Amino acid sequence: MNPSPSTTMAAPGPATRSVPVQMAWLALLAAAISLPLWFRGDFILFMATQAGVMMLVAIGLNFLTGYAGQVSLGHGALVAVGSYATALLMVDAHWSFWAAALAGMAIATAVGLVMALPALRLSTWYFALVTLTFAQVITDLLVEWRGLTRGFSGIIGIPAPAIGSHALSPVEVYLVVAGCVVLAFVVTRNLTLSRLGRGMVAARDNPLAATASGVSLLRIKLFAFAVSAALAGLAGAFYAVQKTVITPEEFGADFSILFLLIIVVGGLGRLWGPVIGTLVFFLLPEFLGALQSWRLLIYGVVLLVLMVFAPHGIMGLSLWQRRRARAAAAAPADRPRAVAQPVARLGLVVHDLHKQFGGVAALQGCSLIAEAGRTHALVGPNGSGKTTTLNVISGFVRSDRGSVMIGSTDVSRLAPHQIARLGVGRTFQTPKLLPDMTVLDNVRLGSFVSEKASALDIALGLPRGRRDRDEGSSAALELLHFVGLADRAEDLAGDLPHGQQRLVEIARALAGRPSLLLLDEPAAGLSMDELDRLGALIDAIAALGTTVLIVEHHLELVARISRSVTVLDRGLVLAAGAPDEVFNHPDVARAYMGREGTGGSR
Amino acid sequence: MWLDVIVAGLTAGSLYGLVAVGFNILYRPTKVFNFAQGDLVMVGSMASALLITQLHWPWVAALAAAMAAVALLALLEERVAVAPVLRRSSNGTAWIITTLAVAMIITNLVGKIWGADPIVVPAPPPLSNDTLAWGGIHISSYQIALIVLTLLLVVAVERLYGSLWGKGTLAVAEDRDAALLRGIDPVSISRWSFALGGAFAALTGALASPVLSASTTLGGMLLLKGFAAAAIGGLGSNRGALVAGYTIGLTEAASALLLSPGYHNAVMLVLVLAILLARPGGLFSSLESRTV
Repeated sequence: MNPSPSTTMAAPGPATRSVPVQMAWLALLAAAISLPLWFRGDFILFMATQAGVMMLVAIGLNFLTGYAGQVSLGHGALVAVGSYATALLMVDAHWSFWAAALAGMAIATAVGLVMALPALRLSTWYFALVTLTFAQVITDLLVEWRGLTRGFSGIIGIPAPAIGSHALSPVEVYLVVAGCVVLAFVVTRNLTLSRLGRGMVAARDNPLAATASGVSLLRIKLFAFAVSAALAGLAGAFYAVQKTVITPEEFGADFSILFLLIIVVGGLGRLWGPVIGTLVFFLLPEFLGALQSWRLLIYGVVLLVLMVFAPHGIMGLSLWQRRRARAAAAAPADRPRAVAQPVARLGLVVHDLHKQFGGVAALQGCSLIAEAGRTHALVGPNGSGKTTTLNVISGFVRSDRGSVMIGSTDVSRLAPHQIARLGVGRTFQTPKLLPDMTVLDNVRLGSFVSEKASALDIALGLPRGRRDRDEGSSAALELLHFVGLADRAEDLAGDLPHGQQRLVEIARALAGRPSLLLLDEPAAGLSMDELDRLGALIDAIAALGTTVLIVEHHLELVARISRSVTVLDRGLVLAAGAPDEVFNHPDVARAYMGREGTGGSR
Repeated sequence: MWLDVIVAGLTAGSLYGLVAVGFNILYRPTKVFNFAQGDLVMVGSMASALLITQLHWPWVAALAAAMAAVALLALLEERVAVAPVLRRSSNGTAWIITTLAVAMIITNLVGKIWGADPIVVPAPPPLSNDTLAWGGIHISSYQIALIVLTLLLVVAVERLYGSLWGKGTLAVAEDRDAALLRGIDPVSISRWSFALGGAFAALTGALASPVLSASTTLGGMLLLKGFAAAAIGGLGSNRGALVAGYTIGLTEAASALLLSPGYHNAVMLVLVLAILLARPGGLFSSLESRTV
């Protein structure tokens, strides 16, 4: 069969939207942007420019906090850094605004990364507290470091941006800011819909699933942070030229909290959240005026109430939940030749693994060999070290001694995401899916490594990024056909029954085109019907050339599908060989039936 | 000169260490790092200060009342801001925002009610804030008592975790589900930990007021210093918290002497980042993360 990517209907985006719809969107956008220009006087224009600046910060913060799950309490300080850097370069060094703004972005990003790097390796709240401390430090330094920042008096006389000798008017500055907001929106939108966005959400909601799919948690968080810090720096540059005077007291601690409030009000992790949140803030000026002294108290109450009762803010209200179009189960393939074909045929050699957990010796010399392109089973009583072996192979647990060779690579000292990148896919004993993502997107997370478009391709919607998006979703749909779940592609993964979640997880592992597939008790909790399908599925996977290592208690299934079997007992290999020999081995029967058992019924 | 730095560093460091111990009490069983902890300390400080200076309560009675009140406040926080979001998703980070919101509400509410002016609190008799000069050392009897009492409190908290309740708490910290199967109720452990953490915060606040004066700015300041102490010491380790508290106190006092007092937060941030880069778990980390 010949699957053609263009026929799938999954994940309709603007790329597949019709031309009239696109034109309507553009007209609406132009109308919205031109709205402030219809008013007399400078005040509305000033406020609108200000709102645009805030929106830039909020879009970046939502990217970081809403999608990557890292709560920054120091974005106001990054704006301050961008603002001061731009202002000082323009006033003292007489740079043009454009060069100074780029430098401001770069400096805010660099300073931010130095601060964020140590904290991003740890739990989320470390990052929140480090950014909170950072905000305090920047506030202190703006006052203290008089030689650079001029202390309390701040920087005055910041010139307007100029092109050649023409200084931009406030209207032109407004239009430039509006253009930047649209660009930032499109870029973050493209990124969140791509493999990078899925990697970010996975890192937020289920780090194990992310790592098993080849996502480096640190790198994806740093990436999200760099994007959002750059936007904060850019916003700071506009802030400086718009205000013409900047002083330390504008960048107090509550400045950072304001952005958090905006994105929580608008909706965390919702594309339109930061836009709506900012507009709400600017459309309620009297609210801020009359209750000025109660402002922070109200901020606190609003944050608390929203996070408890409406964690996705305004954009999370049921009003906005469009009915998700059911993906037409149109793709005809039931054999994903092109997509699941492994990159290389790799065998697995595990030699003499030892692992001690506190006083428990989980492995005391486990060895096994799985021939390339064949199915190998690992069985044994509970607590015999099967899952530990799988965890050592995939890098989630580091062995005390012994080696793991995948193909010709020694993976004993590699991190799990690096092992995943070698073409090792795995499933977990309890399926690790992202419950709030669609089934299709869960599968697409698996192709994080195999999709090749760069962040730039994706951000700007260049052809390579678009191709990955289209081909990725049709490939994922094919894989869902392969495991028999194509009709549930657009459902949320959390809504699926347990057995189907296992199949989705297998499809996700296959999306990475694994050379070696590790399955941890895939048959547990499956119905008879599902069990048959699983057996056929594993046979089909092996037929593609993938080496399969399966940990399983269901011995009939094991006997049917595997070429060879290793039996573990208390961390030691009891027997290994073809299924028939192994299951008739007296030691094996004894291990399963109890030490004094009378032997072999199986 | 340097002896003064040591005295100032140990005094402030003791308080930072105590705040960090308060974080640990809550964090161990709940895995929640309470962003309102600094403000609980602040309420303890303000409440005891008002009872002592305005209503002329005896020191011990004021302390007990403040501890009871803040324990209730912490319980309320757990019910309103922590339990609901944890119920929705145990691995989420919504509690960062909700506890931060609680901190904002407390700071601003207390500011509205009691004003922003710091309240000067005398040391409880027979101690005093008058500095004694021993050789080159300038130290008050209250400072000596504070430093000694801090050591005793850390020992007492460690002893508490040796008790049955404490072991239950550690079991919940290790594996919530397994603890539940052993008949330990994680929900009740969480609540008691919040109450205990609140009472401990109030105690810290009452001890801080003769040195730092009671004011609403204490909350934010102690949140940052306490976090730094917990991060450097290794979260969950009370001895680590104490050592880290001293480290921060001493660095701060030294930097005030060498640079300028305005740079203390910057110096502290550099210290925290350097330690986290070299030893992500902190100096005395006792909590090992389990993955699969």
